Amino acid sequence: MEARIVSSLLPPAAFLLPIIGAVAIIPLTKGAERLRRIGLAVVCVLNVVAAASFVPGVLAGNVYETYILQITPKIWMYFRVDAMGALFGLTAAVLWLIALVYSFGYMEGEHRPGRYYAFFILALAWTMGVAYAGNLLTFLIFYEMFSILTYPLIVHEETPEAIAAGTKYIVYILVGGSLVLLAIVFTFFLAGNQALTPAGLLTLEMGRKNLIAVFWCFIAGFGVKAALVPLHGWVPDAHPAAPAPFSAVLSGVMVAAGSFGIMRVVYSVFGVALLRELDVMRWLAYIAGFTVVFAALLAVNQENLKRRLAYSTISQMGYAALGVALLTEQATTGALVHITNHAFMKGALFLCAGLLIKRAGIRNVRDISGIAQKMPITSAAFAIAALSMIGTPPLSGFVSKWYLGLGMLDADQPLYLAVLLGGALLAAVYLLPIVYAAYFKPPSAAVLALPERSGLEAPLTMLVPLVAAIVLTIALGLVSSVQGMPLSLARLAAAIAFK
Amino acid sequence: MPASALLVGVIIIPLVGAVLTPVVGGRSGRAAGPWALAVMLVTSAIALMLIVHVANVGPFSAYLGGWEPPYGIELRFDEFSASTSVICLLGTLSILFSFKYAEKELPPERIRYYYTLLLLNLTGMIGFVVTGDIFNLFVFMEILSLSGYALVAVSGERTAEMAAFKYLIMGAVSSLMVLFAIGLLYALTGSLNMADISVRLAGAEKAPAMLAIAAFTVGFMVKAALFPLHIWLPDAHAIAPSPVSAILSGLVVKTGLLGMIRIYQIYYGAKVLDLSALNTVLVWLGAISIVMGAFFAIFQEDIKMMLAYSTISNVGYIIMGLGLASQYGVIGAAVHIFNHALIKATLFLGAGAIIYRTGYRNLTDLRGIGRSMPLTTAAISIGAISIVGMPPTAGFLCKWYIALGAVEAGQPLFAVALVFGALFIFVYYIRMVNTFYFQEPVHPEILEVEEAPLSMLFPVLILAALCLIMGILGRIPLSFVEPAVTRLLAPLGG
Repeated sequence: MEARIVSSLLPPAAFLLPIIGAVAIIPLTKGAERLRRIGLAVVCVLNVVAAASFVPGVLAGNVYETYILQITPKIWMYFRVDAMGALFGLTAAVLWLIALVYSFGYMEGEHRPGRYYAFFILALAWTMGVAYAGNLLTFLIFYEMFSILTYPLIVHEETPEAIAAGTKYIVYILVGGSLVLLAIVFTFFLAGNQALTPAGLLTLEMGRKNLIAVFWCFIAGFGVKAALVPLHGWVPDAHPAAPAPFSAVLSGVMVAAGSFGIMRVVYSVFGVALLRELDVMRWLAYIAGFTVVFAALLAVNQENLKRRLAYSTISQMGYAALGVALLTEQATTGALVHITNHAFMKGALFLCAGLLIKRAGIRNVRDISGIAQKMPITSAAFAIAALSMIGTPPLSGFVSKWYLGLGMLDADQPLYLAVLLGGALLAAVYLLPIVYAAYFKPPSAAVLALPERSGLEAPLTMLVPLVAAIVLTIALGLVSSVQGMPLSLARLAAAIAFK
Repeated sequence: MPASALLVGVIIIPLVGAVLTPVVGGRSGRAAGPWALAVMLVTSAIALMLIVHVANVGPFSAYLGGWEPPYGIELRFDEFSASTSVICLLGTLSILFSFKYAEKELPPERIRYYYTLLLLNLTGMIGFVVTGDIFNLFVFMEILSLSGYALVAVSGERTAEMAAFKYLIMGAVSSLMVLFAIGLLYALTGSLNMADISVRLAGAEKAPAMLAIAAFTVGFMVKAALFPLHIWLPDAHAIAPSPVSAILSGLVVKTGLLGMIRIYQIYYGAKVLDLSALNTVLVWLGAISIVMGAFFAIFQEDIKMMLAYSTISNVGYIIMGLGLASQYGVIGAAVHIFNHALIKATLFLGAGAIIYRTGYRNLTDLRGIGRSMPLTTAAISIGAISIVGMPPTAGFLCKWYIALGAVEAGQPLFAVALVFGALFIFVYYIRMVNTFYFQEPVHPEILEVEEAPLSMLFPVLILAALCLIMGILGRIPLSFVEPAVTRLLAPLGG
């Protein structure tokens, strides 16, 4: 199926909308909290609509593109929406909407909401840019903006721990960003400024050594954000420090942006055929496999809930990298759809963690005992998301793992099935005891101290987004094979990459 | 008006303006500021016309008194001379910024001399970039250096005098080296016209030619504050009044670099020497400068001191690009000469506005200032992300092009040094941003401070906007620089 190129103004609109939201709506609505919320929600909804509008066309074989601006004589800022980008963009847009609405409840009474919302909504703009970037320089611009301009969100609480976590974050991310920049400079030198297409930019004539250097430079750079062990150090500190709704997008989209970067490198910069020739992917597979198991092992011992979830993210993103590294169509489908599925289930878990902090003051796992009586919706949501994370059918986590498993068999590497199952088993070990404690253990002191509540356990602004994330987690599993669902996009993207 | 008349005017007008400033300003000095501003506005208008002209027809000359070179004095306006625009812009904005500063900090009888010195300094720089005659180059360099020493000392504090004295000693040595080199070239070729020297140098003896370029390099590198010749810079730039710091760091340092480019133009054209050994030294010194500048900056408490050390790093970038002698590298260096001027002026003027309002200069004392001076600190933050080279700001072009240049020259390790040097720099700017926004104030009264006055805020915001615009519309400066660099490097390829 040949791609039909369609000029469209929607890709720039998808990143301009949130920028307008940040620079116009927030200053104009100072003091008018209600108006501000409505404005921001409208921006996010429009963004979801824009991101979703690409889906039918992309599934029909279209590629949408826009040239925006000539930055240097040789380089244009250029957007190109293909199946992979459309999937990532849509995931980000929906998760942002959920997290934004949740923020309305969570940020109630917190200091400096204007700054929080401004950078929160700006981060969406950069993410959309990353998703739809059509060449490496455009990608780099948005990727770096996204890395650096989220710093204010991580240090938002301004506690010494938050500042320390922020410093760690920024150092890791900048080192990664520098490596990415170097790799992109080298690629530009070898191949010039070309669009990211399935054909790849590089060819074997450019020299094996050069290509291998560029490859590892890219992987090390994106690996920092994708939290490949041993480059994962910032993740467990940044997540507990950030406000919960931002932790959700941090895990769901931001870490995934690193994996997305790796995918772009593999499928659009090098191309599958060249990578088979270079024989580098098995090393990436080793690293990714190690990441899955190692991070899951560490997660088991974390007392702080958000920290435990952060380690879980590292482990889960290891799956995505593993799927990419196997270089088969099924595994690629699994990796792509796992990014989306993980975004909503991990998002849901972090939203639960936020509710526990906000409504019960609980940050540690041991205090969760017996919370189900006081916070039934939160507990149920947590249980469902945890089951999905483990890979229980028919939830969404199962679908991605199923495809990853098929890919492993396709690649004749059944040993990785052990990694897959081991990761799932460990996920059960670090998540299910929490669920068990919430429902069946006697209430902890923290829970007993909670006042009796009449009515709902939390404001609707927090519960509705949580339920939405759970509904998505279920739907992405139950009806995953319906045309138009993320799985169809992932399948298409994989088919294009392996054509 | 013919272009040659404009070319003469762009030097004469600020020069005459400077001389008249004490008279116009009067004893109270009240009229001196507006007068200087008017002079610079006229000069800027002329500079703009010149740039339009050079963009349309390419480099052109004016011969003073109608005497043709090599006998007469030639003024030559090429793409590198287009830096006149930046000189005029920063000059104008710094003068505007000075209104409130001078009123508060200077004794009234000195105000008119302050503006005189500023105008003289700007005249010197404009002359420096448009002259086609190497002795005139020296004369203009002296005008700008001498006025520079005086400007550092203008506040009359003891530390300022010490800093100015240190600057004066180093500057005198540098001038001496440059003059010595000019003498050598004159003895070798019998000419002072740059184009003419380049032609005649082709058949000259190698040893004196080598000595000359060595002396030029040392002389200009003192001016540019390349490590290890930088020792005068931090004190001078930090202690000078902020508008002067902006001009010193943004522009005066660059005259050393532009001077170096002029010398390269002569030597590359003459093909008398193989400069690769010199270039290797410069690339290494550039890399060391980047790292050392950043390293020292990390330990500074004084905000302006930090900015001053950051200038040393940025000079390192530019020297590295020049030394790489590859198309992309030199383009990156040349563009950064312009862009760093804008960025550093944003930072110094922003810092100046904060110091003006609060009276504090240490980072610890300034905690929480982001709340009371949101616009100024936002501008400084834009300058900070720009100077560390975040895309798509103005600083990114330099990083991108010089890194590409290093790969092009077959030395990718310098690209690594460059990119990770920038990381180092980020560390202390992050500290600054933390101070502004994310830490509890040490002095509660800092939250009561007012936003900077309009005559300070306006220049800072304009410059901050330019930090963004020059990155997004990078093709505008690049379209100037590219043909000039191609011409400069053409003899190397052939």
